[in-house]
Amino acid sequence: MNLAHIDELDAIELADGFVWRPVRRHFGIQAFGTNAYTPGASGRIVEEHTEDRLGHEELYLVLRGRVRFTVDGNEHELGPGQLVFVRDPALRRGAVAVTDDAAVLAVGGKPGEPHEISAWEYVFLAVPDLQAGRHGEAKRLLEEGLEAKPGNPAILYNLACVEALSGEREAALEHLGTAVAAEDRFRAAAQDDEDFASIRDDPRFPR
Amino acid sequence: MSEGYEILALDEAERVAHRDSTLIPVRYLLGFRPAGVNAWYADTGDQLMPPHTEDSGNEELYVVVQGRATFTVGEETKDAAAGTLVFVPAEVFRSAVAAEDGTIVFVVGGTVGQAFNAGGWEEFTLAEAYRHAGRIDDGRAVMERMVAEKPDYWAAAYNAGCWESMAGNPDAAFAHLRRAKELNAEEAAPYFREDTDLDNVRDDPRFQELLG
Repeated sequence: MNLAHIDELDAIELADGFVWRPVRRHFGIQAFGTNAYTPGASGRIVEEHTEDRLGHEELYLVLRGRVRFTVDGNEHELGPGQLVFVRDPALRRGAVAVTDDAAVLAVGGKPGEPHEISAWEYVFLAVPDLQAGRHGEAKRLLEEGLEAKPGNPAILYNLACVEALSGEREAALEHLGTAVAAEDRFRAAAQDDEDFASIRDDPRFPR
Repeated sequence: MSEGYEILALDEAERVAHRDSTLIPVRYLLGFRPAGVNAWYADTGDQLMPPHTEDSGNEELYVVVQGRATFTVGEETKDAAAGTLVFVPAEVFRSAVAAEDGTIVFVVGGTVGQAFNAGGWEEFTLAEAYRHAGRIDDGRAVMERMVAEKPDYWAAAYNAGCWESMAGNPDAAFAHLRRAKELNAEEAAPYFREDTDLDNVRDDPRFQELLG
């Protein structure tokens, strides 16, 4: 039986301080998007974000502990078995754990469209290797993401980060250039990103 | 609160009987569209979701939210405490029984490579429960909403017609029943002939058009 307790899933702590539990990936689910989250050092459990870019409806279910959600500026403290359904992708949502044992399951997708694995799964997946300096491994995961989502600017941007960190100047500039050309928000992001320290003096670096 | 989001507590949400199980119709209550989401409630020894096998391509993830459940998937049986996730691929038998009172299992489902399209079984289940409880207006409201959401689904139009017939609104009943015939005359035909839900309108001269 393909069964796992939430505490048995991989725990990938991300920059914002929340811990991603890759449910969809663990089980190899293809039909829908689902993940779980537990709190990291900062106590955050759901990243503060909107779904503007993907147009996803999202459903959050508290599985354990107590969690304080902020949705569209309103706070709601919820416990096990309570759900928040964020219908409007434009609403800013996020959550912090009120108790250390908190766990949240998220289900999301774009109405009327088949499920597609989101690019952020590949980006998040590479984070532990990136943090540990295992650049080759991080690169492999991002390249796997690019195979699944060719030309995806978020994956290209993160691949450029890894390449810049490992001294692959030409590849980094090419991938960063492609990411910025596809989505201009990556131009601003690149200016302050320490990962690009080694290539920022290059005249081809996007300004 | 704003209109863009909603909060629901599973242990306080509406429950409805469905084939020896107790459904919490989460998708229907929230109007969630990207995937099928529901929950099942049971006390010790009682059945959670009805034992079943999903068609090819349908994947389901069960999550024990509270209590404890005994899952059977294929030939294998395992105990699952709160916080356990059980993934069941298509074409594999699955069932679950509560091992504690007040057990709730949440389920997410969808079809690989296809946009989620609610078949509407929750609506029919709710309407049936309202019929048994004599809540005619609530049953009508469920079917009205379904017709609005799925205007091209013959069974929605047909059942909305049944409810209007039962509620004694022949004009509304015929409008829905004509639409059902237009959408799928072949599937609707045996129901027009035999369904007792239509007894209130069967003697109306307009009924002959449906049979023709």
